[in-house]
Amino acid sequence: MGVRLYEEPELENPVLIAGWPGIGNVGIIAVDTLRGVLKAEEFGEIEPWDFFYPKKILIRNGELKDLEFPSNKFYFKKTEERDLIFFVGEEQPTEEGRAYAEGRKAYQMANLVLDVALKLRCQRAYTSGAAVAPIHHTMKPKVWAVPNTEALIDELRGYENTILMSDIEGRKGQGNITGLNGLLLGVAKKRGLEAVCIMGEIPVYLQGLPLPYPKGSKSVLEVLTASLGVRIEMEGIIELVERSEREVENLYQRFPLEIREQLDKLKYVTYARPAEPGPITEEDKKRILEDIDKFFKKGPKED
Amino acid sequence: MSQESPFRIYAKPEFQSSSLIVGWAEDAGKLGPKVVDYLNKKLEAQDFGEIEPVDFFSLGGVLVENDVAHFPESKFHHCQAYNLVIFKSSLPRAEWYKFLNLVLDVAEYYGHVKELYTVGGMISFGAHTAPRELFAIANSPEMKQVLSQYDLARGMDYQTPPGQRPTLSSFLLWVAKRRNIAGASLWVPIPFYLVAMEDPQAWKKTLEFLDKRLDLRIDFTDLDEEIERQNEKMAQLRIRFPEIDSYIRRLESNLSLTEEESERLVKAIEESLGKRD
Repeated sequence: MGVRLYEEPELENPVLIAGWPGIGNVGIIAVDTLRGVLKAEEFGEIEPWDFFYPKKILIRNGELKDLEFPSNKFYFKKTEERDLIFFVGEEQPTEEGRAYAEGRKAYQMANLVLDVALKLRCQRAYTSGAAVAPIHHTMKPKVWAVPNTEALIDELRGYENTILMSDIEGRKGQGNITGLNGLLLGVAKKRGLEAVCIMGEIPVYLQGLPLPYPKGSKSVLEVLTASLGVRIEMEGIIELVERSEREVENLYQRFPLEIREQLDKLKYVTYARPAEPGPITEEDKKRILEDIDKFFKKGPKED
Repeated sequence: MSQESPFRIYAKPEFQSSSLIVGWAEDAGKLGPKVVDYLNKKLEAQDFGEIEPVDFFSLGGVLVENDVAHFPESKFHHCQAYNLVIFKSSLPRAEWYKFLNLVLDVAEYYGHVKELYTVGGMISFGAHTAPRELFAIANSPEMKQVLSQYDLARGMDYQTPPGQRPTLSSFLLWVAKRRNIAGASLWVPIPFYLVAMEDPQAWKKTLEFLDKRLDLRIDFTDLDEEIERQNEKMAQLRIRFPEIDSYIRRLESNLSLTEEESERLVKAIEESLGKRD
């Protein structure tokens, strides 16, 4: 079980940006888009066989030529503003019947990623995921930010379109980030590295569908690039969002009318402080959220 | 418990070198378990060890099938007279790479295994009356050369289609290749309507190759009788149920069935021959 580095890039106080697939692939799309736009160079990988079942076999003329596993690759990019390390995991190392990595494998993988980051004198880590929220798909998704140290709270409060757990009504600053996008934060804390998970919102009614939600990823990208001080072209993600919006709207129009009427009320719900005065009362809001919660039998959550 | 050895050895076979045959307990047409059970019985193989299940199987309870509780087993057998190690196991649910390496660790250390054969069934859309073919995939050019001396389908090109995953036998073949153990995975296509049943013709096809390759000198009279019995049952079924006969006739003429017709054929065969797991 180990890491293979093809080279050891000379980086100055780099920042690690790591992503694994999750709900709506919100986080991984953001991380991989940034990596792609910056044309970051691959410099290593985590050997996958201890973590994953292979995904593809190649047989040619009766001979086994290759067995392909989900990829777990490191990339780097030196920008004018900051040196960056990317880690992109194609799958989370899950155990049978589970959607997200947990337990020993997850802990081992988080540590291997951080081994590389710390070896290259990384100063901070970012992970990214999805925050399932009672929002409507026509709204701009907010970004939920969770740091692994109190010292970062003031900085995060200064980010545009970003809220902390304590800004979400009823949460009292509590929450749970499942899978490696969350676990890395904890392991980084244990190893003395400051880290932030930034999660783009996805509407509660889209969370269980096998659809990516790049609109949430775009919000993450905006916050991430601003925080890093890196400017990038956003055309690619904007195109992705436009295509996805058409798909989501088509799907939405196929929902029964009574469900759409309920979900349309989400356009007027503000669940995070600071709440702006809206067209509905607090009581209306409570009832709408309860109705939608009953419909989906799930509350807001994040990955 | 997890600190203890992941395998238990009851006896130490004395081999200079040996071949390893691997079959998985869950397999199309029961090919894997039947082939290894047949070899164990015919060659009077002895148990010599097993892999402990704790790291590799979900032990949250037991699976009950056909009124009986099952528990995962991963056992090694040896047959001194034929320099043979036989491994039969349930399909592990986790830590596959570790599991497969453990199989080869035990086989190499206790059996001095130099070559490996996995056996398995795969789904075919042909009729049961067509002769069975044996496909072989080698993990090295040398093994490919060895296989060329036998009556096998050897020139296969294949790539896992999207949404599917390779088999555990393919994974084992790859692990063996990394460890410089020559190996081949052997596959017999099983008519789709026998996949959940038994296909003694397919077992025999695999066994005939192993018999020649490893010079086992097995008398297949009992297996021939079993094949005869199943052929007779299928023939009776076709006489009693013209619909089944018409479906099989179409398959015999290389015509395909619709999904609904295929489902009806599978159901009719299972009800008539009795699904046994």
